[in-house]
Amino acid sequence: MGIENRSDCHVLVIGSGGAGIRAAVEAAASGETIIVSKTITGKGGCTVMAEGGYNAVLRSADSVSTHYEDTMKGGAFLNDPALVEVLAREAPDRIRDLFAWGAVFDLTCENEIAQRPFGGQRFPRTCYAGDHTGHEMVMTLLEKLRGSPVEIRDELTVIDLLKDGNTVSGAITCDREGELGVITADAVVLATGGAGQVYDTTTNSTAGTGDGYALGYRAGAELIDMEQVQFHPTGAVYPYDTRGRLITEAVRGEGGILLNTKGERFMEKYDPARMELSTRDVVARSIATEVLEGRGTEHGGVWLDVTHLPREQIETRLPLMLEQFLQFGVDIRTQPMEVAPTAHHFMGGLRITPEAHTTLPHLFAAGEVTGGVHGGNRLGGNALADTQVFGRRAGLAAASVEHTAKRASDADQIAAAEEKISRLYEGSAASAEVRRSMKQIMWNNVGIYRNELDLKVAERDIAKLRATPLGISSPREINDAIITENMLLVASLVIEGALLRRESRGAHTRTDISVPWTNETSPFGHTFFSKARSGIEILEGRL
Amino acid sequence: MKVQISRFDPDKDAAPHLETYDVHVENGARVLNVLDAVRDGIDPTLGYRHCCRAGQCGSCAVRVNGEPVLACMEEAHDGDLIEPLSLPRIRDLITDIAPVMAQMAWLNPGVEGISCSCGVTHDTIESIKPLRECIECYSCVSSCPAFAASEYAGPTIMRQEQRLNLDPRDGGDRVEEAIAKGLFACTTCHKCVEVCPKGIETPRKAVEKLRAEAAKRGLSLPAHKALASLVEETGRSVERKETLFLERVPDVIEPEGEVRATVGFFVGCMFNGRVIQPALDAMEVLRKNGIRVVIPKDQVCCGSPLIRTGLSGFVPELMQRNIAAFVNAGVDVVLTMCAGCGSTLKNDYNTPFRVADITEYLCEIGFVPPTKVAGTYTYHDPCHLLRGQGISEQPRELLRSVAETFVDLPARCCGAGGGVKSGRPEEAAAIGAVRAEMVKATGADFIVTVCPFCEFHLHQVTGLPVKNIATLLLEGYRK
Repeated sequence: MGIENRSDCHVLVIGSGGAGIRAAVEAAASGETIIVSKTITGKGGCTVMAEGGYNAVLRSADSVSTHYEDTMKGGAFLNDPALVEVLAREAPDRIRDLFAWGAVFDLTCENEIAQRPFGGQRFPRTCYAGDHTGHEMVMTLLEKLRGSPVEIRDELTVIDLLKDGNTVSGAITCDREGELGVITADAVVLATGGAGQVYDTTTNSTAGTGDGYALGYRAGAELIDMEQVQFHPTGAVYPYDTRGRLITEAVRGEGGILLNTKGERFMEKYDPARMELSTRDVVARSIATEVLEGRGTEHGGVWLDVTHLPREQIETRLPLMLEQFLQFGVDIRTQPMEVAPTAHHFMGGLRITPEAHTTLPHLFAAGEVTGGVHGGNRLGGNALADTQVFGRRAGLAAASVEHTAKRASDADQIAAAEEKISRLYEGSAASAEVRRSMKQIMWNNVGIYRNELDLKVAERDIAKLRATPLGISSPREINDAIITENMLLVASLVIEGALLRRESRGAHTRTDISVPWTNETSPFGHTFFSKARSGIEILEGRL
Repeated sequence: MKVQISRFDPDKDAAPHLETYDVHVENGARVLNVLDAVRDGIDPTLGYRHCCRAGQCGSCAVRVNGEPVLACMEEAHDGDLIEPLSLPRIRDLITDIAPVMAQMAWLNPGVEGISCSCGVTHDTIESIKPLRECIECYSCVSSCPAFAASEYAGPTIMRQEQRLNLDPRDGGDRVEEAIAKGLFACTTCHKCVEVCPKGIETPRKAVEKLRAEAAKRGLSLPAHKALASLVEETGRSVERKETLFLERVPDVIEPEGEVRATVGFFVGCMFNGRVIQPALDAMEVLRKNGIRVVIPKDQVCCGSPLIRTGLSGFVPELMQRNIAAFVNAGVDVVLTMCAGCGSTLKNDYNTPFRVADITEYLCEIGFVPPTKVAGTYTYHDPCHLLRGQGISEQPRELLRSVAETFVDLPARCCGAGGGVKSGRPEEAAAIGAVRAEMVKATGADFIVTVCPFCEFHLHQVTGLPVKNIATLLLEGYRK
């Protein structure tokens, strides 16, 4: 066998959400750039679905150091300080870039970029375009991309990274029909987003399968903090098939309140100072507790209510929410929304430097596929900023890798990929069935509240699924099988991290362990995972 | 739940075929959940696109029972027929959208270094917003009659041109570009608005605005310029050829028997000077229904041909004259029988009186039942009645009461509107040819409609007799 479909470029960007497109646009100036999307560029990532906003310090009353402190505190001090520093410092310039490129963000009557309050922040610094901020960013980035020389390859799935020795040198791809291809490159940027799809209930698009974590891990890169999975407090619960769909934090930012079935505004009990605008981990746990203790709705949620707000405010600031709920027969101007937590964002991911360099030569990463920026809990509005700040850095750093005349593509690796695929024809387990089981296991045992017993059950059950060979009967099923394997690998890393981290920190809550320290004085640093080693960092002098 | 899905594998199938699937889904399931159930439980090779599951990425647009929808938002029903969008097909429900995407313009700051955010105000943003919610699902393009039959690049392409045209950060000449992409081919049928998941009003907010910019620069089509001069000179959009309707009727037409209502009548240029008989027939129909008709003689063109073609400088004058004419006549209700005039008076004017289409009004007050007339009739929905005024049931109700045999026909633009017939006759003919096929498939002997432009054009493209609904009703009354 041999692969006929070969191409070569300077920078290969994998993933087409906000971070990927940004990286490609920035890299394009320095040489031939290819962006690969397993969906259609601009449609695939979670950026396009992001509703609420983009955090940036734009007013003199606000400051970069306050943004830094809010982010560190919100992240339970598990964040990598150097990365947070970069995020807070560069977010304003990156949104100004977007604005210059044509973004249609809301402006104040004084023609300044408008901002609203979001959870866990001491200043209203969340910029927005109604409640479709991410869509607006992607449209702007798409315009920029379409006007650039970047080559766009849609509906092409990367099944493995290629390496030349220890250096990443491209990727093996598989198209919609199951045809393999090779793209060699001087540098590769991973911008594949998160893996909410390993859970039964998630806000993520169907593309949020964590392929980049798996690709990086298999190539030998190190990942951190994979146990830190943010459960967004407000996901839809009904009808059944819409469960998990995001109800933006902007609903609470605009003044929405949370009520249990007894009509109590229960956040008074959990965080009387910040109420509904507490950090997401706190609000998600509060809702989960209300439901567990019997004060939830029949569908297992609580009420999120904006009926006290002026109709006009709902119509102009939350048009998408209004439209989506109307589709399901609920008029949020007069009726409350039924909400419950839903798997949302992976704070963990590939370990990067402030230059977006992973632990492997010539492999860069940006956006949700990376770890360290958001620590144990991400603030609403920081993810969109992350995509632009680190998307740009990854694109520029990748582009600065020296051009090489002839890149090797390792014949052994290609043969191994082909061998792996041919084995799929002998397997028996259906990908859809395996994914369904995995999602249940993760939701039931590795959710908001965790304990060792449940985690061990999950570890055993996921291992069992991984041991069952997946089967296909046509080339068109190859991608689905490979992605399922990726998801199982990611699930196992989440469980491993959750077992390793013997404390409650950020989004990770261990009900079976109580510790004498605070987030700030915790002796633990990142959990880390690679083919070579895994464990948890112990901070010197703290234990 | 049982559904039918159109399947096509270019490697195996000569033509697409329908497959029936029986799947279990939860209450309230969307079409996408049904497709997932088929893929996960029956055939893992079913090809379809999907991503965000929340109506925000535009990947999953398909046709359900003939109409484009987002699979993730549309509730599934037993018996649904699921097909791909009407675009070149790749496999199953996957279509080739790349050629359309390639037409989408991007912001170009122009001269290097000029790019800046200066000049962008709160008002700029608010003006662009209604054109910015597009999720590029291409439902509009796939169902646009002008796209299907001409070189027109499609509704969302025009939306994007106007979005850029409104943006001071953009340095491109979007008017010329829009013209090159077929700006004058849009018939303003509003099908694109009907199918848009975000309800973007492309004809009104992009096409007509771009045409207005083109007009300012003298780039309008010669036929449209001539039309605009004619309206400015004569107050009418058709040339005088015979004694006009307004010269043939008295100021007030008294009904037969008891007076049930009094209305004003807005005749419109076509019925006043080109196809006069249907208007005279309509007067008889109103008489027989006990309706007194007041006809101010100082009424003029409604301005529709000017607004649709972007040459709207004279429109305020026309509006003022028409409103004054009917206010002076002292009527509370003004009837139209031209779909275009009705839509313009209802949507572009701000009238101190109510405007109603003749079919709408007759059904509302309860019409005198006519005797059945022999023959097989079908009904063509004029776009400006169906989408401009939301009227589809009333003409059918009238038709069912008078036609011996009525065969229904799904709506589709005939190609006559939006200045396309006058400005680009060959495109109007191409759009009409598609419609003619549909009409002929009904086997009807007669086409009935409520728009003089449709009437004229449909007769040309089908060769079949086209009757105004008023004429047919009168035949029934005279039997």
